[in-house]
Amino acid sequence: MSMRQLWEGTDSRPWIRRIGGQTKVVILFLMAILTITIDNPRTLFLLFFSTLLLHLAAGTSIYKWRVLAALLMLGLWGSMFSQALFFAQTPRTPLFVIIARDTPWLGAITGGLYVNRDGTLYGAVQGLRSATMLSLGLLVCWTSDPRQLLGALLSWKLPPQVAFMLVTAIRFLPVLAAETGEIITALQLRSDTKSGRTAIIRHIPHIAKPLLARCLRRAQTLALSVVSRGFFQARQRNTSLFVWNGREKSACGLFALATLAVVAGKLCFVLSEQGMYFGVLRRVYDIAKLYL
Amino acid sequence: MRRSNTILRGVLLTLLFLMGWAACALAGNKVDVIYPYSLEQRSLHTVTGQSTMPLYIDLTSYDIPRPQEVDISLELPKGFTALDKEGWHDGKARWRLDANYGRNFDLVYLQARPGTPSGEKSLTVRLRTPEWEEERTVRFTYDAAGATENLEAAHTKKKDNKKFNWYIQSVTLPVDNLGNRDQRSEEGVIYVRDTSLESFRNRMTGDGATNWSAVFNHPATFLLLDMRNPQKDIRMLKFKAQLVDKVTGKPVQGLVTAGKTNHEGGEGGWAGDTGDQWETSALISLDGKKSQTFILPLYIDYFTVLAGDYSLRVTISGNGQEKVQEVPVTIAKKRSIGLMAVGFSFLCLFAVLLQLGRIRKFIREMGARGAITVSLFAAIAFGGISLPSTRLGDLLHAVLGPFSSRVTGLLTGIMSYLLIVALLVLYRKPGVLALMLLIRYMLSCVMFGHFTPLGLLSLSVNIAVLEAALRLCGFFRRKELTGRYMLGVALLLGVADAFMSFVNLQQMMFFYRLYYADWYLALYMLVNGVLYSSIGSWIGYRTGEKLRQVVGE
Repeated sequence: MSMRQLWEGTDSRPWIRRIGGQTKVVILFLMAILTITIDNPRTLFLLFFSTLLLHLAAGTSIYKWRVLAALLMLGLWGSMFSQALFFAQTPRTPLFVIIARDTPWLGAITGGLYVNRDGTLYGAVQGLRSATMLSLGLLVCWTSDPRQLLGALLSWKLPPQVAFMLVTAIRFLPVLAAETGEIITALQLRSDTKSGRTAIIRHIPHIAKPLLARCLRRAQTLALSVVSRGFFQARQRNTSLFVWNGREKSACGLFALATLAVVAGKLCFVLSEQGMYFGVLRRVYDIAKLYL
Repeated sequence: MRRSNTILRGVLLTLLFLMGWAACALAGNKVDVIYPYSLEQRSLHTVTGQSTMPLYIDLTSYDIPRPQEVDISLELPKGFTALDKEGWHDGKARWRLDANYGRNFDLVYLQARPGTPSGEKSLTVRLRTPEWEEERTVRFTYDAAGATENLEAAHTKKKDNKKFNWYIQSVTLPVDNLGNRDQRSEEGVIYVRDTSLESFRNRMTGDGATNWSAVFNHPATFLLLDMRNPQKDIRMLKFKAQLVDKVTGKPVQGLVTAGKTNHEGGEGGWAGDTGDQWETSALISLDGKKSQTFILPLYIDYFTVLAGDYSLRVTISGNGQEKVQEVPVTIAKKRSIGLMAVGFSFLCLFAVLLQLGRIRKFIREMGARGAITVSLFAAIAFGGISLPSTRLGDLLHAVLGPFSSRVTGLLTGIMSYLLIVALLVLYRKPGVLALMLLIRYMLSCVMFGHFTPLGLLSLSVNIAVLEAALRLCGFFRRKELTGRYMLGVALLLGVADAFMSFVNLQQMMFFYRLYYADWYLALYMLVNGVLYSSIGSWIGYRTGEKLRQVVGE
């Protein structure tokens, strides 16, 4: 499977591809709010697991599962690694020492750097937040055409000029990638040293100028074309193509209400810990403490 | 009729008599004597050699309609003496009990002289008034040998003064209610909570700003008091903590007693006003161990305490002895940097949303050519920076952990600012930078589904801070961009990027509950922020100067 096919949403099941861009964006946004609101490891895991179930239901191909698994593992490992080093709660159980506290200079600056067992576990739990969003983001990406998501933005009164700029950027991404390849080839051919003629890293600093120069020339040509057709001055747009399905809208409304309730409950609980305690909300505090 | 009335009168009289008699019968005194006594109410029976264990005497009188003078005398076993204290002399004292209900209690410390033989002993406490007399006898075991070795140790330590039989080993703070140190807070720093939320709540519930009991009843922090008691004494001691001015050495306002429930009123609680001002006090009990630690709460008056450096004077006193130790403390107002960062981000979001209405005006001013240039630059930024740094960043993050940003920063820092400044040199107008960052963010949303609140907040911070920095240095008004001026702009953008990195990292720590050490934040700000961004901005200026020739073609 090519890189291009990897980011295309053509091999997923039809039911998920039919879901409107607005619904996908709203769910993604609300889910992001939920992941940063909830602290309970079990609930976080349930959220994460629900996104994996959605992948299963959407018929994500084996290849994409592998990519998803690799990205999730790397993300989780990264979170575990950083928190193993920087975890600041107690108790902490050092597994091994990277910089001892009494190491000259570095020890004084860092106060010692240790890999903590407790931090690793903490990082794994906290990493579930970004893992959930990564999994859901990839699901949306793999089951949607960019036009679908762009349509969602247009239906929410995105200025047509900005939409045009966005479409231009999307349209010219592969062109710019191809041009970058050409520039690298040219730089490799012009290289006067035999060693490292094929190394891309050596040529990266020299790519910017020719690439940007080409961009400017292309912008000039495109601008002439666009202005002559009067597109850029457009004030009206036809948003009827991106009508939001009523049932999907209702479902999003319900999900938004649920998210709002979760956020409000959590906020009440946090405020109660700061002294703003109200007896009538005791049940809310219980739920927030046990599940959120 | 008359006969029945007489009978009724007789019954009533009898009832009144019986009630009066019952009242007299219930009136009386209650005497409680415990030796050796411990605050923890442990049933102790053994007294070790030469220790000074307390004898507890508690006398309560009730329903006696007149004040009483009670003479108390102790009859001690041979070899035992009562240590003199205020109100006591040679084991004798006189107490006055109030009418109707009176209560008095005290501790008398007893000590056995050297050479007193071990064995079962008993002591008697006699209480005498002109009307009544009572006595209580307490039996206990005296173990002279048990203390011999301790005594030697104590003598070698404090040969000249027998008073130094207990002392303060150390005072540690802040700790939690279990005595654990929180490594996130520095030693000797007491964080004072922000009371604005309580104030808000009280005003909303109509209690006004005077109901502070919920706040005052929570200790600001705890301290760990490590005591040494080489002679294994059992004693009741008074603990007192005061904030002391470092220069004058005088106690200052800040600490309060546990009984204080608000700022303006006096003390509450059963004991009434203790008369203690600007101090937290407590009773502690040495229970006969050689070393003992106490976790003691410190209460703070949130209105009078001032942030700054002080000395915390800890005074332990009891039975005429007093030990003092001072430790340096810093009172710091507790402010959540994470919360402030999030608040700042929301402000930026609000400012950016207000400016969104002017986006069409920006685009019109730039023209089609400018707008397309911005979108192509954004496409390069997305394809050349966001895409590789997101995907390769994961791999590097797994290998290098938090230090992967030093590598990915080459892309996100240098390349990003190269593109931004090159574009700004070509189109020096407010809003160009915002449009480019917005298009790049939207590309990320549409291509990868990154519709997250955190991304939106970070974008707002980037736009607001960078636009503000450029306006601050007069970038948009300046006629000509000289090399020296642009060097300053590059450094300013570096500093702005360091600030944005700090805000974004704080946001991430707040939302994702992650921890990063201070030195790591500083390193990130210095390298990824100031260094990479300044270099990128400078290269961007040079690139933009070259690209001007293309625009002019």
